[in-house]
Amino acid sequence: MTSSTILLVDDEKAITDNLAPFFERAGFRVSIAHDGDTALRLAAERDADVIILDVLMPGPDGREVCRRLRQRGDWTPVVMLTQVGGPGERALSLEEGADDYLNKPFDPQELLARVRAVLRRARPGVPPLSAARTLRSGPLTFERPARRALLGGRDLVLTPRAAAVLDYLLTHPDEVITRERLLDAVWGWDYPAGTRAVDTRVAELRRALDDDPAAPRFIETVVGQGYRFVGPVEVVS
Amino acid sequence: MTRGWWRKWWPLLASLAPLGLGLLAALLWQAGLLPNPVLVLRLRADVGTLLLLAGVLLTLLALPAAAVGMHGVRRRARDLDAVRAACADDRRRFLRRLDHELKNPLTALRAGLANLSALPAGAERDAARASVEVQVARLSRLATDLRKLAELERRPLERTPADVGELLAEAVELAQETSDRAVILALPQAPWPLPPVSGDRDLLFLACHNLLDNACKFTRPGDAIEVRAFEDGRWVVVEVADTGPGIPADDLPHVFEELYRGENARGVEGSGLGLALVRAVAEHHGGSVSVRSREGEGTAFMLRLPLA
Repeated sequence: MTSSTILLVDDEKAITDNLAPFFERAGFRVSIAHDGDTALRLAAERDADVIILDVLMPGPDGREVCRRLRQRGDWTPVVMLTQVGGPGERALSLEEGADDYLNKPFDPQELLARVRAVLRRARPGVPPLSAARTLRSGPLTFERPARRALLGGRDLVLTPRAAAVLDYLLTHPDEVITRERLLDAVWGWDYPAGTRAVDTRVAELRRALDDDPAAPRFIETVVGQGYRFVGPVEVVS
Repeated sequence: MTRGWWRKWWPLLASLAPLGLGLLAALLWQAGLLPNPVLVLRLRADVGTLLLLAGVLLTLLALPAAAVGMHGVRRRARDLDAVRAACADDRRRFLRRLDHELKNPLTALRAGLANLSALPAGAERDAARASVEVQVARLSRLATDLRKLAELERRPLERTPADVGELLAEAVELAQETSDRAVILALPQAPWPLPPVSGDRDLLFLACHNLLDNACKFTRPGDAIEVRAFEDGRWVVVEVADTGPGIPADDLPHVFEELYRGENARGVEGSGLGLALVRAVAEHHGGSVSVRSREGEGTAFMLRLPLA
């Protein structure tokens, strides 16, 4: 297998200096940009397989870079490094079309796992699930901007956080998502016993989706690890 | 309270006073309680004098209004200056404390890295790396807690009816898993169980957990920790009490401030933001948190949350 190329974009040199050798040791080729304009230029000149993009940067920030890439039809997978991860922030990010998000400070191993996952998921030239407005899995339809779920045409009553968990699982199908990762993505921060809060929301989702944990159509428990969305997911719009 | 009300409304009351007196006099005269002579006024003046009189009259009316207005503006400016000064003080205090909280782990990190580069592979080097990782975890926790605080102020609450009893039982269970302190939980069953409160269950759990975690950290082996909850009017009150060493009176007004560390808290592990988070969660829910403590006897924190 030829090694994939990462375009690593962060204005903090200390971060790129340490992450670049880390990814090289993991078998990637790495190009580096320290601001948004250079990132856009490098993305056009070289063929990166994945872009790691910091949010806060001089010039166009990470969000703007991602928006411009998508506008010019560049669907290279993007992992966005965020500083804050509130639900409001995430609703905003829906418009940008990044493939995944990771809150700083993060474990480099976790970033490596995310990069590998988006590379596995990506189909060249096709928008990622995270850029879709409406997703479908069998009888389940999910309108992402309104966070509205329908099962066989029937509206489901979900708390906002359960809807956010469903959104995350649907946009990462077939991937084992740990409770810690769901906490980080949906709650924005980890806290003691937070993993129980995740279980409570998943139980709420299963009740609403009429999903049997023993024979799941949608959400499977991966013992000792977390959850996996097992239904086939397709983009409606 | 009464004084504040008077301060706010006195200019209006003062301006209405002549009208009130006039009305009273008219009523008394009409009721025949006072002799009511009829006055016939005849006025003869040139237009210039009349206009001058009208001008004097209007100025006399406008002057007190302007004086009251200017007084109000001056008072508001003074209040604003006081608020600004308090904010600047808070900010300075916060930065000083943040600087302190960052210095220690950074110093430990530099020492750990110096050891790492000098030591040959082996147990000592492993210990140096472990120490570096502990400091990184400490800084990450501080950053996460700072972010929680910042987010709490702006994120909307996901309000659902939350069962405080269930939430406290979970918090106590977690405390017993992570600490060797014995915790007694007392929840009312009679005349009825605790009613639910309206709020974000996860945040309320965080607040209860932090209070309990605090009690576990600041007590000695053998001290008692009691968690109780009861209904009080339109509130559910959660109390976390302990027989620990207590908080010095000088520290007591500051314990909910960000990164404040009192006399007894030096050297105790934590981000220094636990109680600030409790306060932020309580206030975000329309509730409050308070503390009472006696040195050498113990401490009780009281969290008040509005009923659903």
